[in-house]
Amino acid sequence: MKELSELNLPEDVRYTDDHEWATASGDTLKIGVSDYAQDQMGDIVFVEMPEVGDTFEKGDEFGTLESVKAVSELYLPVGGEIVAINEALEDGPELINEDPYTNWIVEIKPSDPAEIDQLLSVDAYREILKG
Amino acid sequence: MQAEKKTVLHDFHVKQNAMMASFGGYDMPLWYPTGVKTEHLAVIRNAGIFDTSHMAVVTVRGEGARELLQNCLSKDMDRCIGLKKNALSDGRCVYGIFLNPDGTVIDDAIIYQLQPDAFMVVVNAAMGGIIAEHLQKSSDREGITIEDLTDRVGKMDIQGPDSAKILGEIIRNSDQLFEGLTYFSFKGGFGSCTTSTAVELNGGTKILVSRTGYTGEFGFELFVEIDKLQSLWEGLLKAGEEYGLVACGLASRDSLRAGAVLPLSHQDIGPWPFLFNPWQFALAWSDDGKSFSKDFIGADALLEENDCDHTLPFAGFDPRKIAAGDDTYVINDAGEKIGAILTCTTDMAIGRVDGEIIGLASEGDVPEGFKPKGLSCGFLLLDKHFAPGELVYLTDGKRKLKVEIREDVRPGRTARKPIKMMLT
Repeated sequence: MKELSELNLPEDVRYTDDHEWATASGDTLKIGVSDYAQDQMGDIVFVEMPEVGDTFEKGDEFGTLESVKAVSELYLPVGGEIVAINEALEDGPELINEDPYTNWIVEIKPSDPAEIDQLLSVDAYREILKG
Repeated sequence: MQAEKKTVLHDFHVKQNAMMASFGGYDMPLWYPTGVKTEHLAVIRNAGIFDTSHMAVVTVRGEGARELLQNCLSKDMDRCIGLKKNALSDGRCVYGIFLNPDGTVIDDAIIYQLQPDAFMVVVNAAMGGIIAEHLQKSSDREGITIEDLTDRVGKMDIQGPDSAKILGEIIRNSDQLFEGLTYFSFKGGFGSCTTSTAVELNGGTKILVSRTGYTGEFGFELFVEIDKLQSLWEGLLKAGEEYGLVACGLASRDSLRAGAVLPLSHQDIGPWPFLFNPWQFALAWSDDGKSFSKDFIGADALLEENDCDHTLPFAGFDPRKIAAGDDTYVINDAGEKIGAILTCTTDMAIGRVDGEIIGLASEGDVPEGFKPKGLSCGFLLLDKHFAPGELVYLTDGKRKLKVEIREDVRPGRTARKPIKMMLT
């Protein structure tokens, strides 16, 4: 288990208190899970993802991550339409353990881009992790 | 609330940055930073070591000790060794269940015959006192000494195909130890648990080496005096370096044993009759399969019982799981609730090829480049029997997962392989 100081928490993404992250690329957002989430879950063995074209409200469950011990739901930080899923995760779910930020899970077109501003900064997220 | 207990290896686990969790009242490692998948696969391919010193040891000694255990254990100690069903003898051990009079489970155990009148009973974490008391209450004879050695015995396991080679490096005269050390036999002793054989580490530490384990793979359970456990652990880690030995936590222990169709006490066996389940070998069935070859506590209740739930192993079609819990359950094709999930984990050494379960260690037709993605597996408690191959569904009310009732799960297990094969 990583100490707080050992966690990789990039400053150029925004976080949620469910341990997802989101970052804008053009007019879409890539979504993944934080280093804290992957470390807590342990080896991820399966990623259940939505279909391209599915639409979700902010906070909706859009998939699950399976580790050996547990199943964790994934919640969408911002509402919108799924425009891409990271197909590499279907054969390589462990990629999330290896680098949880390069290996995004879904890409969405946000229905309300203003929701992005409501997400947590790295400092606010670190405060939550401190408990 | 009672403070969490620590094993003597606790410092090691914490220093290694293991993910820790409470189990049986002890703060135990779930996995180390290497990860549970690496640990699971190490035991399939090479070897892994497990801190099992949270488990409890009870000794039963004196004239009448054997009769007392016979009266309490579900297995017939007079008919339990090999195909010929020989009696338990010095240097042999046997798996059985301690039952309540109503046929429900107190705990499972391995009974070691140290000497004709001296037995070591190995039970689960926190069960030492309970089993010692149960034996004491069931004893109507003078002269039997029952001692709970909880937290006074150093126990660890080494499991995996390279276990003998690694253990051999730290044992004096290992050839002698391994000679005739068949499955469910043991040699040596430690502390007050002595036998007619002696086994020593290179440094002179006395050790009891048992050809048993809880992973379904080839390996040993090791017992030493508690202050010797840390150096044994470190010695094996060092000796195992070149073999790819890794320290393994409880999560891989759980996924390995589930794939090997072994029950976790108080989860897969518990407060329901120990009857309709995959572990019939733990009961003292007569050859006719209708009566028991001896009397024991719980026997009458089991013989009269015909309406209790069925515990059945299952495997899924991919690694997805639905965890055991109060809000998850099992349904049939028609969506009717038919039972509960007892264990659901992922065996990462297996996958399906054209529907068939293939393991990394499967003999024969393993396709070239086979990389298992893992399959969910575990046990269900269902209101009626289902035959192997029948399909049921696990659900949490939202997700629904199709799984297959199985007789067995992970193919190619090594636990019973002749020790000579594992030394070459």
